[in-house]
Amino acid sequence: MENRSRVLLLTAALLPLTGCASLHWPWRARAAETPPAEEPSRYGDENAPPPRVIEPEVERRTVEVPKIEASNIEFGAFFGSLSIEDFGTNPQYGLRAAYHVTEDFFFEARYGRSNAGRTSFETLGGNIQLLTGDERRFTYYNLSLGYNLLPGEVYLGRGLAMNSALYLMGGIGSTKFAGDQHFTVNFGAGYRVLPTDWLAIHIDVQDHVFQSDLLGRDKLTNNFGAYLGATVFF
Amino acid sequence: MPVRPSATTRTSHLIDVRHFLLAGLLTLAAILARPALAAEPPPDAEKYLQLFVTEPYLELHLGPGRGYPVVNVVPRGDSVDVLYRRTEWFRVRTERGIEGWASQNDLTKAQLADGTPFRFNLGDRAGFTSHAWETGVSAGDYGGATLISAYFSRSFNEQLALEFTASQFLGNASNGYMLDLGLSHVFLPQWRLSPFVTLGTGIVFVEPKGTLVVPADRNDQTAYAGAGLRFYVTRRFFVRAEYRSHMVFTSRNENEEIDEWKIGLAFFY
Repeated sequence: MENRSRVLLLTAALLPLTGCASLHWPWRARAAETPPAEEPSRYGDENAPPPRVIEPEVERRTVEVPKIEASNIEFGAFFGSLSIEDFGTNPQYGLRAAYHVTEDFFFEARYGRSNAGRTSFETLGGNIQLLTGDERRFTYYNLSLGYNLLPGEVYLGRGLAMNSALYLMGGIGSTKFAGDQHFTVNFGAGYRVLPTDWLAIHIDVQDHVFQSDLLGRDKLTNNFGAYLGATVFF
Repeated sequence: MPVRPSATTRTSHLIDVRHFLLAGLLTLAAILARPALAAEPPPDAEKYLQLFVTEPYLELHLGPGRGYPVVNVVPRGDSVDVLYRRTEWFRVRTERGIEGWASQNDLTKAQLADGTPFRFNLGDRAGFTSHAWETGVSAGDYGGATLISAYFSRSFNEQLALEFTASQFLGNASNGYMLDLGLSHVFLPQWRLSPFVTLGTGIVFVEPKGTLVVPADRNDQTAYAGAGLRFYVTRRFFVRAEYRSHMVFTSRNENEEIDEWKIGLAFFY
Protein backbone atom coordinates (compact mmCIF):
# COMPACT_ATOMS: atom_id res chain seq x y z
CA MET A 1 0.00 0.00 0.00
CA GLU A 2 2.77 2.31 0.85
CA ASN A 3 4.51 1.32 -2.32
CA ARG A 4 1.50 2.13 -4.49
CA SER A 5 1.07 5.61 -3.03
CA ARG A 6 4.76 6.30 -3.57
CA VAL A 7 4.42 5.36 -7.28
CA LEU A 8 1.36 7.57 -7.62
CA LEU A 9 3.11 10.52 -6.03
CA LEU A 10 6.21 10.06 -8.17
CA THR A 11 4.11 9.89 -11.36
CA ALA A 12 2.25 13.01 -10.39
CA ALA A 13 5.55 14.82 -9.77
CA LEU A 14 6.98 13.71 -13.14
CA LEU A 15 3.96 14.68 -15.26
CA PRO A 16 4.38 18.50 -15.01
CA LEU A 17 8.06 18.11 -15.93
CA THR A 18 7.12 16.80 -19.41
CA GLY A 19 5.16 19.98 -20.07
CA CYS A 20 7.87 22.41 -18.92
CA ALA A 21 9.71 22.39 -22.25
CA SER A 22 6.68 23.63 -24.18
CA LEU A 23 5.88 26.46 -21.82
CA HIS A 24 6.57 30.01 -22.95
CA TRP A 25 8.51 31.45 -20.12
CA PRO A 26 8.57 35.24 -20.06
CA TRP A 27 12.43 35.49 -20.11
CA ARG A 28 12.53 33.08 -23.13
CA ALA A 29 10.09 35.27 -25.05
CA ARG A 30 12.23 38.37 -24.49
CA ALA A 31 15.32 36.56 -25.67
CA ALA A 32 13.58 35.65 -28.95
CA GLU A 33 12.57 39.28 -29.57
CA THR A 34 16.11 40.67 -29.27
CA PRO A 35 17.84 40.80 -32.71
CA PRO A 36 20.90 38.57 -33.31
CA ALA A 37 24.13 40.06 -32.11
CA GLU A 38 25.89 40.07 -35.51
CA GLU A 39 23.15 42.06 -37.28
CA PRO A 40 24.46 45.61 -36.66
CA SER A 41 28.04 44.80 -37.65
CA ARG A 42 26.95 43.33 -41.00
CA TYR A 43 27.51 46.45 -43.11
CA GLY A 44 30.97 47.30 -42.00
CA ASP A 45 32.42 43.79 -42.17
CA GLU A 46 33.49 42.46 -45.56
CA ASN A 47 33.84 38.91 -44.29
CA ALA A 48 30.25 38.77 -43.09
CA PRO A 49 27.94 36.30 -44.83
CA PRO A 50 25.69 37.80 -47.57
CA PRO A 51 22.18 38.87 -46.55
CA ARG A 52 19.56 36.17 -46.70
CA VAL A 53 17.62 36.03 -49.96
CA ILE A 54 13.92 35.29 -49.82
CA GLU A 55 13.46 31.66 -50.71
CA PRO A 56 10.84 31.25 -53.46
CA GLU A 57 8.04 28.86 -52.58
CA VAL A 58 7.67 27.76 -56.24
CA GLU A 59 9.24 24.39 -56.97
CA ARG A 60 11.65 24.39 -59.90
CA ARG A 61 10.28 22.48 -62.87
CA THR A 62 12.55 19.63 -63.85
CA VAL A 63 12.37 18.41 -67.43
CA GLU A 64 13.15 14.81 -68.07
CA VAL A 65 14.68 14.40 -71.49
CA PRO A 66 13.14 11.29 -73.04
CA LYS A 67 15.30 9.14 -75.27
CA ILE A 68 14.95 10.10 -78.90
CA GLU A 69 14.46 7.00 -81.03
CA ALA A 70 16.90 6.65 -83.89
CA SER A 71 15.72 5.31 -87.22
CA ASN A 72 18.98 4.79 -89.08
CA ILE A 73 18.78 1.13 -90.02
CA GLU A 74 17.27 -0.09 -93.24
CA PHE A 75 16.47 -3.75 -93.87
CA GLY A 76 14.80 -5.50 -96.75
CA ALA A 77 14.92 -7.80 -99.73
CA PHE A 78 15.45 -7.44 -103.44
CA PHE A 79 15.13 -9.36 -106.64
CA GLY A 80 16.34 -8.71 -110.14
CA SER A 81 18.55 -10.11 -112.81
CA LEU A 82 22.25 -10.81 -112.84
CA SER A 83 24.33 -11.15 -115.94
CA ILE A 84 27.05 -13.68 -115.09
CA GLU A 85 29.86 -13.34 -117.62
CA ASP A 86 29.81 -16.25 -120.09
CA PHE A 87 26.84 -17.83 -118.32
CA GLY A 88 23.93 -15.69 -119.45
CA THR A 89 21.53 -13.49 -117.55
CA ASN A 90 19.62 -15.08 -114.71
CA PRO A 91 17.21 -14.12 -111.96
CA GLN A 92 18.69 -13.24 -108.59
CA TYR A 93 17.36 -12.35 -105.18
CA GLY A 94 18.75 -11.48 -101.78
CA LEU A 95 18.71 -9.42 -98.63
CA ARG A 96 20.16 -6.03 -97.86
CA ALA A 97 20.75 -4.03 -94.71
CA ALA A 98 22.04 -0.48 -94.42
CA TYR A 99 23.07 1.89 -91.68
CA HIS A 100 22.81 5.60 -92.37
CA VAL A 101 25.75 7.27 -90.65
CA THR A 102 25.24 10.85 -91.82
CA GLU A 103 22.77 12.48 -94.15
CA ASP A 104 25.25 11.87 -96.97
CA PHE A 105 26.86 8.51 -96.27
CA PHE A 106 25.61 5.04 -95.47
CA PHE A 107 27.09 1.58 -95.12
CA GLU A 108 25.37 -1.31 -96.80
CA ALA A 109 25.68 -5.07 -96.52
CA ARG A 110 24.12 -7.20 -99.19
CA TYR A 111 23.75 -10.92 -99.71
CA GLY A 112 22.48 -12.29 -102.99
CA ARG A 113 22.25 -15.48 -104.96
CA SER A 114 21.59 -16.56 -108.48
CA ASN A 115 22.05 -19.62 -110.66
CA ALA A 116 24.31 -19.53 -113.68
CA GLY A 117 22.84 -20.72 -116.95
CA ARG A 118 24.68 -22.58 -119.72
CA THR A 119 27.50 -21.13 -121.75
CA SER A 120 27.16 -21.00 -125.53
CA PHE A 121 29.83 -23.68 -125.67
CA GLU A 122 27.70 -26.03 -123.56
CA THR A 123 24.56 -25.29 -125.54
CA LEU A 124 26.27 -25.98 -128.87
CA GLY A 125 28.30 -28.91 -127.62
CA GLY A 126 25.36 -31.05 -126.61
CA ASN A 127 25.99 -33.00 -123.46
CA ILE A 128 29.07 -31.09 -122.29
CA GLN A 129 28.70 -29.79 -118.74
CA LEU A 130 31.31 -27.29 -117.56
CA LEU A 131 29.91 -27.08 -114.04
CA THR A 132 27.83 -29.27 -111.80
CA GLY A 133 24.49 -28.11 -110.40
CA ASP A 134 26.03 -26.93 -107.15
CA GLU A 135 28.88 -25.11 -108.85
CA ARG A 136 26.40 -23.14 -110.93
CA ARG A 137 25.07 -21.48 -107.82
CA PHE A 138 26.35 -17.90 -107.67
CA THR A 139 26.27 -16.44 -104.16
CA TYR A 140 27.86 -13.22 -103.06
CA TYR A 141 28.01 -10.74 -100.25
CA ASN A 142 29.39 -7.24 -100.23
CA LEU A 143 30.01 -4.41 -97.82
CA SER A 144 29.67 -1.03 -99.46
CA LEU A 145 29.84 2.63 -98.71
CA GLY A 146 27.07 4.68 -100.29
CA TYR A 147 26.80 8.39 -100.99
CA ASN A 148 23.46 10.17 -101.43
CA LEU A 149 24.34 12.29 -104.43
CA LEU A 150 21.05 13.83 -105.49
CA PRO A 151 18.35 14.15 -102.86
CA GLY A 152 14.99 15.31 -104.13
CA GLU A 153 11.35 14.68 -104.57
CA VAL A 154 9.24 12.80 -107.10
CA TYR A 155 5.69 13.69 -107.98
CA LEU A 156 3.03 11.16 -108.90
CA GLY A 157 -0.03 12.85 -110.30
CA ARG A 158 -1.42 15.94 -108.60
CA GLY A 159 -1.55 15.00 -104.98
CA LEU A 160 1.38 12.72 -104.25
CA ALA A 161 4.97 13.76 -103.60
CA MET A 162 7.63 11.39 -102.29
CA ASN A 163 11.18 11.91 -101.11
CA SER A 164 13.86 10.38 -103.25
CA ALA A 165 17.62 10.18 -103.60
CA LEU A 166 20.04 9.07 -106.24
CA TYR A 167 23.03 7.38 -104.64
CA LEU A 168 26.37 5.99 -105.64
CA MET A 169 27.95 3.01 -103.95
CA GLY A 170 31.09 0.96 -103.99
CA GLY A 171 32.55 -1.75 -101.84
CA ILE A 172 34.25 -5.06 -101.41
CA GLY A 173 33.04 -8.57 -100.84
CA SER A 174 33.29 -12.14 -101.91
CA THR A 175 31.63 -14.27 -104.56
CA LYS A 176 31.27 -18.02 -104.46
CA PHE A 177 30.97 -19.44 -107.93
CA ALA A 178 32.17 -22.48 -109.85
CA GLY A 179 33.59 -24.17 -106.75
CA ASP A 180 35.80 -21.23 -105.76
CA GLN A 181 35.56 -18.01 -103.82
CA HIS A 182 36.69 -14.77 -105.36
CA PHE A 183 37.53 -11.40 -103.87
CA THR A 184 35.02 -9.08 -105.50
CA VAL A 185 34.81 -5.35 -105.97
CA ASN A 186 31.37 -3.92 -106.54
CA PHE A 187 30.20 -0.49 -107.61
CA GLY A 188 27.03 1.01 -108.92
CA ALA A 189 24.27 3.53 -108.51
CA GLY A 190 20.74 3.42 -107.29
CA TYR A 191 17.58 5.37 -106.87
CA ARG A 192 15.60 5.32 -103.65
CA VAL A 193 12.01 6.52 -103.36
CA LEU A 194 10.29 6.78 -99.97
CA PRO A 195 6.48 6.56 -100.13
CA THR A 196 6.53 7.04 -96.35
CA ASP A 197 9.36 7.83 -93.94
CA TRP A 198 9.82 4.19 -93.01
CA LEU A 199 9.48 2.47 -96.38
CA ALA A 200 11.93 2.76 -99.27
CA ILE A 201 11.70 1.34 -102.76
CA HIS A 202 15.07 0.89 -104.46
CA ILE A 203 16.03 0.45 -108.06
CA ASP A 204 19.73 -0.03 -108.53
CA VAL A 205 22.42 -1.40 -110.79
CA GLN A 206 25.76 -2.79 -109.70
CA ASP A 207 28.76 -4.38 -111.32
CA HIS A 208 30.51 -7.21 -109.50
CA VAL A 209 34.09 -7.53 -110.72
CA PHE A 210 36.33 -10.47 -109.89
CA GLN A 211 39.25 -12.39 -111.31
CA SER A 212 38.39 -15.83 -112.62
CA ASP A 213 40.40 -18.59 -114.35
CA LEU A 214 37.40 -20.79 -115.01
CA LEU A 215 37.75 -20.84 -118.79
CA GLY A 216 41.46 -21.56 -118.90
CA ARG A 217 43.07 -18.18 -118.45
CA ASP A 218 42.91 -15.52 -115.77
CA LYS A 219 40.53 -12.76 -116.64
CA LEU A 220 38.56 -10.02 -114.97
CA THR A 221 34.87 -10.83 -115.18
CA ASN A 222 32.14 -8.20 -115.02
CA ASN A 223 28.82 -9.33 -113.67
CA PHE A 224 26.15 -6.68 -113.97
CA GLY A 225 23.06 -6.85 -111.87
CA ALA A 226 19.86 -4.82 -111.81
CA TYR A 227 17.68 -4.92 -108.73
CA LEU A 228 14.29 -3.87 -107.50
CA GLY A 229 13.96 -3.94 -103.75
CA ALA A 230 12.00 -2.76 -100.77
CA THR A 231 13.46 -1.84 -97.38
CA VAL A 232 11.99 -0.77 -94.11
CA PHE A 233 13.63 1.77 -91.77
CA PHE A 234 14.00 0.79 -88.13
CA MET B 1 18.73 -32.23 -128.56
CA PRO B 2 17.10 -30.70 -125.50
CA VAL B 3 18.70 -31.79 -122.29
CA ARG B 4 16.24 -32.76 -119.57
CA PRO B 5 16.96 -31.06 -116.28
CA SER B 6 18.41 -33.52 -113.82
CA ALA B 7 16.81 -34.24 -110.47
CA THR B 8 19.46 -32.21 -108.65
CA THR B 9 18.88 -29.16 -110.87
CA ARG B 10 15.16 -29.40 -110.21
CA THR B 11 15.71 -29.67 -106.45
CA SER B 12 18.04 -26.69 -106.50
CA HIS B 13 15.42 -24.71 -108.44
CA LEU B 14 12.86 -25.65 -105.85
CA ILE B 15 15.20 -24.49 -103.08
CA ASP B 16 15.72 -21.25 -104.99
CA VAL B 17 12.00 -20.64 -105.24
CA ARG B 18 11.65 -21.39 -101.54
CA HIS B 19 14.40 -18.92 -100.64
CA PHE B 20 12.88 -16.33 -102.88
CA LEU B 21 9.46 -16.79 -101.29
CA LEU B 22 11.04 -16.63 -97.84
CA ALA B 23 12.80 -13.36 -98.66
CA GLY B 24 9.56 -11.95 -100.05
CA LEU B 25 7.60 -13.02 -96.99
CA LEU B 26 10.17 -11.48 -94.67
CA THR B 27 9.94 -8.13 -96.43
CA LEU B 28 6.16 -8.33 -96.49
CA ALA B 29 6.11 -9.13 -92.79
CA ALA B 30 8.40 -6.18 -92.09
CA ILE B 31 6.21 -3.89 -94.20
CA LEU B 32 3.02 -5.09 -92.53
CA ALA B 33 4.55 -4.84 -89.08
CA ARG B 34 5.28 -1.14 -89.40
CA PRO B 35 1.74 0.17 -90.08
CA ALA B 36 0.64 -1.82 -87.04
CA LEU B 37 3.14 0.22 -85.03
CA ALA B 38 2.05 3.44 -86.69
CA ALA B 39 -1.62 2.67 -86.01
CA GLU B 40 -1.11 2.72 -82.24
CA PRO B 41 -3.14 5.40 -80.43
CA PRO B 42 -1.39 8.77 -80.62
CA PRO B 43 0.90 8.90 -77.57
CA ASP B 44 0.49 11.82 -75.23
CA ALA B 45 2.77 14.82 -75.45
CA GLU B 46 4.67 13.73 -72.32
CA LYS B 47 6.33 10.92 -74.22
CA TYR B 48 8.13 13.22 -76.64
CA LEU B 49 10.76 15.79 -75.98
CA GLN B 50 9.30 19.30 -76.22
CA LEU B 51 11.61 22.04 -77.47
CA PHE B 52 10.98 25.79 -77.69
CA VAL B 53 12.27 27.81 -80.61
CA THR B 54 14.50 30.67 -79.46
CA GLU B 55 15.96 31.72 -82.82
CA PRO B 56 13.73 33.95 -85.04
CA TYR B 57 12.42 30.76 -86.69
CA LEU B 58 13.09 27.05 -87.10
CA GLU B 59 13.17 25.64 -90.63
CA LEU B 60 11.39 22.37 -91.36
CA HIS B 61 12.69 20.43 -94.33
CA LEU B 62 10.81 17.91 -96.41
CA GLY B 63 13.38 15.17 -95.88
CA PRO B 64 16.30 14.35 -93.62
CA GLY B 65 18.97 16.19 -95.60
CA ARG B 66 20.07 19.72 -96.44
CA GLY B 67 19.17 19.11 -100.09
CA TYR B 68 15.48 18.69 -99.34
CA PRO B 69 13.46 21.92 -99.60
CA VAL B 70 12.21 23.90 -96.60
CA VAL B 71 8.45 23.42 -96.44
CA ASN B 72 7.56 25.14 -93.17
CA VAL B 73 8.93 27.38 -90.44
CA VAL B 74 8.17 27.45 -86.73
CA PRO B 75 8.19 30.98 -85.22
CA ARG B 76 10.12 31.96 -82.10
CA GLY B 77 8.37 30.97 -78.87
CA ASP B 78 6.48 28.06 -80.42
CA SER B 79 7.30 24.52 -79.41
CA VAL B 80 7.90 21.32 -81.34
CA ASP B 81 7.72 17.68 -80.27
CA VAL B 82 10.73 15.60 -81.31
CA LEU B 83 9.36 12.31 -82.71
CA TYR B 84 12.49 10.47 -83.83
CA ARG B 85 15.87 10.93 -85.45
CA ARG B 86 17.54 9.88 -88.69
CA THR B 87 21.26 10.62 -88.92
CA GLU B 88 21.63 14.32 -87.95
CA TRP B 89 17.99 15.16 -88.62
CA PHE B 90 15.04 15.12 -86.27
CA ARG B 91 11.46 14.48 -87.22
CA VAL B 92 9.43 17.10 -85.32
CA ARG B 93 5.76 17.98 -84.97
CA THR B 94 4.63 21.55 -84.43
CA GLU B 95 1.83 22.70 -82.11
CA ARG B 96 -0.42 22.81 -85.16
CA GLY B 97 0.33 19.19 -86.01
CA ILE B 98 2.60 19.86 -88.99
CA GLU B 99 5.51 17.43 -89.27
CA GLY B 100 8.89 18.05 -90.83
CA TRP B 101 12.62 17.51 -90.47
CA ALA B 102 14.77 19.88 -88.43
CA SER B 103 18.56 19.73 -88.52
CA GLN B 104 20.62 18.95 -85.46
CA ASN B 105 22.46 22.28 -85.79
CA ASP B 106 19.19 24.24 -85.68
CA LEU B 107 17.65 22.19 -82.87
CA THR B 108 20.62 22.60 -80.55
CA LYS B 109 19.73 26.32 -80.52
CA ALA B 110 16.28 25.47 -79.11
CA GLN B 111 15.50 25.20 -75.41
CA LEU B 112 13.83 22.71 -73.13
CA ALA B 113 10.72 23.72 -71.16
CA ASP B 114 12.90 24.69 -68.16
CA GLY B 115 14.96 27.10 -70.24
CA THR B 116 18.09 25.00 -70.53
CA PRO B 117 19.55 24.53 -73.99
CA PHE B 118 19.00 21.23 -75.81
CA ARG B 119 22.19 19.18 -75.92
CA PHE B 120 22.77 16.25 -78.19
CA ASN B 121 25.73 14.00 -78.85
CA LEU B 122 27.04 15.41 -82.11
CA GLY B 123 29.22 13.50 -84.51
CA ASP B 124 32.36 15.59 -84.09
CA ARG B 125 35.89 15.51 -82.67
CA ALA B 126 34.57 15.30 -79.11
CA GLY B 127 32.50 12.30 -80.17
CA PHE B 128 35.59 10.74 -81.73
CA THR B 129 37.42 11.07 -78.42
CA SER B 130 34.61 9.55 -76.39
CA HIS B 131 31.88 7.32 -77.83
CA ALA B 132 30.11 4.05 -77.13
CA TRP B 133 30.13 2.08 -80.39
CA GLU B 134 32.29 1.69 -83.46
CA THR B 135 31.75 -0.23 -86.69
CA GLY B 136 34.08 -0.51 -89.63
CA VAL B 137 34.96 -2.35 -92.80
CA SER B 138 38.48 -2.95 -94.01
CA ALA B 139 40.48 -4.76 -96.66
CA GLY B 140 43.99 -6.08 -96.46
CA ASP B 141 46.30 -9.04 -96.47
CA TYR B 142 46.29 -12.15 -94.29
CA GLY B 143 49.40 -14.27 -94.77
CA GLY B 144 49.38 -13.58 -98.53
CA ALA B 145 45.63 -13.99 -98.95
CA THR B 146 43.23 -11.12 -99.66
CA LEU B 147 41.33 -10.14 -96.53
CA ILE B 148 37.85 -8.65 -96.08
CA SER B 149 37.05 -7.71 -92.53
CA ALA B 150 34.32 -6.05 -90.47
CA TYR B 151 34.41 -5.15 -86.80
CA PHE B 152 32.17 -3.94 -83.98
CA SER B 153 33.50 -2.37 -80.84
CA ARG B 154 31.97 -1.35 -77.53
CA SER B 155 33.92 1.22 -75.52
CA PHE B 156 34.20 0.98 -71.75
CA ASN B 157 35.84 4.38 -71.53
CA GLU B 158 37.81 6.71 -73.80
CA GLN B 159 40.68 4.28 -74.07
CA LEU B 160 39.53 0.71 -73.54
CA ALA B 161 37.12 -1.17 -75.82
CA LEU B 162 35.94 -4.71 -76.50
CA GLU B 163 36.17 -5.62 -80.17
CA PHE B 164 34.56 -8.33 -82.27
CA THR B 165 36.01 -8.90 -85.74
CA ALA B 166 34.69 -11.16 -88.50
CA SER B 167 36.95 -11.69 -91.50
CA GLN B 168 37.15 -13.72 -94.66
CA PHE B 169 40.39 -14.42 -96.48
CA LEU B 170 40.71 -15.58 -100.08
CA GLY B 171 44.06 -16.99 -101.09
CA ASN B 172 45.65 -19.06 -103.81
CA ALA B 173 46.10 -22.08 -101.54
CA SER B 174 43.14 -21.76 -99.22
CA ASN B 175 40.13 -19.73 -98.25
CA GLY B 176 38.74 -19.28 -94.79
CA TYR B 177 37.00 -17.32 -92.11
CA MET B 178 38.16 -15.79 -88.84
CA LEU B 179 36.28 -14.67 -85.76
CA ASP B 180 38.22 -12.64 -83.21
CA LEU B 181 37.31 -11.21 -79.84
CA GLY B 182 39.70 -8.92 -78.02
CA LEU B 183 40.49 -5.69 -76.27
CA SER B 184 41.87 -2.53 -77.78
CA HIS B 185 43.55 0.30 -75.97
CA VAL B 186 43.85 3.78 -77.49
CA PHE B 187 46.79 5.73 -76.14
CA LEU B 188 45.78 9.32 -76.88
CA PRO B 189 42.08 9.35 -77.72
CA GLN B 190 41.95 13.15 -77.94
CA TRP B 191 44.49 13.25 -80.79
CA ARG B 192 43.28 13.31 -84.36
CA LEU B 193 45.80 10.61 -85.24
CA SER B 194 45.89 8.24 -82.33
CA PRO B 195 47.75 4.95 -81.95
CA PHE B 196 46.24 1.87 -80.34
CA VAL B 197 47.16 -1.70 -79.43
CA THR B 198 45.01 -4.82 -79.52
CA LEU B 199 45.11 -8.19 -77.85
CA GLY B 200 42.70 -11.06 -78.19
CA THR B 201 41.79 -14.56 -79.18
CA GLY B 202 39.75 -16.19 -81.91
CA ILE B 203 38.97 -19.09 -84.18
CA VAL B 204 40.06 -19.64 -87.76
CA PHE B 205 38.30 -21.93 -90.26
CA VAL B 206 40.56 -22.88 -93.15
CA GLU B 207 39.27 -24.50 -96.35
CA PRO B 208 42.26 -25.62 -98.44
CA LYS B 209 41.54 -25.64 -102.15
CA GLY B 210 40.64 -29.04 -103.60
CA THR B 211 43.61 -29.40 -105.91
CA LEU B 212 46.11 -29.30 -103.07
CA VAL B 213 47.52 -32.07 -100.93
CA VAL B 214 45.41 -31.80 -97.76
CA PRO B 215 41.83 -31.15 -98.77
CA ALA B 216 40.51 -31.33 -95.22
CA ASP B 217 38.92 -28.36 -93.46
CA ARG B 218 40.63 -27.13 -90.31
CA ASN B 219 39.37 -25.25 -87.29
CA ASP B 220 42.04 -23.83 -85.05
CA GLN B 221 42.16 -21.54 -82.10
CA THR B 222 44.24 -18.39 -82.43
CA ALA B 223 45.61 -15.60 -80.32
CA TYR B 224 46.66 -12.23 -81.62
CA ALA B 225 48.44 -9.07 -80.64
CA GLY B 226 48.51 -5.98 -82.77
CA ALA B 227 48.89 -2.27 -83.13
CA GLY B 228 47.40 0.38 -85.34
CA LEU B 229 46.49 3.96 -86.03
CA ARG B 230 43.16 5.68 -86.28
CA PHE B 231 42.70 8.99 -88.00
CA TYR B 232 39.61 11.18 -87.63
CA VAL B 233 38.34 12.29 -91.05
CA THR B 234 35.06 14.16 -90.56
CA ARG B 235 31.64 13.89 -88.90
CA ARG B 236 31.43 10.30 -87.58
CA PHE B 237 34.09 8.80 -89.83
CA PHE B 238 37.65 7.75 -89.24
CA VAL B 239 40.25 5.67 -91.04
CA ARG B 240 41.66 2.72 -89.18
CA ALA B 241 44.87 0.95 -90.19
CA GLU B 242 46.00 -2.07 -88.25
CA TYR B 243 48.56 -4.83 -88.00
CA ARG B 244 47.88 -8.07 -86.13
CA SER B 245 50.20 -10.94 -85.49
CA HIS B 246 48.22 -14.16 -85.22
CA MET B 247 49.45 -17.29 -83.51
CA VAL B 248 47.46 -20.25 -84.83
CA PHE B 249 47.44 -23.22 -82.42
CA THR B 250 47.36 -26.00 -85.01
CA SER B 251 46.86 -29.69 -84.30
CA ARG B 252 50.25 -30.29 -85.94
CA ASN B 253 53.57 -30.28 -84.09
CA GLU B 254 54.32 -26.62 -84.57
CA ASN B 255 52.15 -23.55 -84.33
CA GLU B 256 51.76 -21.18 -87.21
CA GLU B 257 52.39 -17.44 -87.21
CA ILE B 258 50.41 -15.32 -89.63
CA ASP B 259 50.62 -11.57 -90.24
CA GLU B 260 47.53 -9.53 -90.93
CA TRP B 261 47.61 -6.02 -92.40
CA LYS B 262 44.48 -4.05 -93.12
CA ILE B 263 43.10 -0.57 -93.65
CA GLY B 264 39.52 0.56 -93.71
CA LEU B 265 36.83 3.07 -92.96
CA ALA B 266 34.96 3.07 -89.67
CA PHE B 267 32.39 5.21 -87.89
CA PHE B 268 31.38 5.79 -84.29
CA TYR B 269 27.93 6.29 -82.76
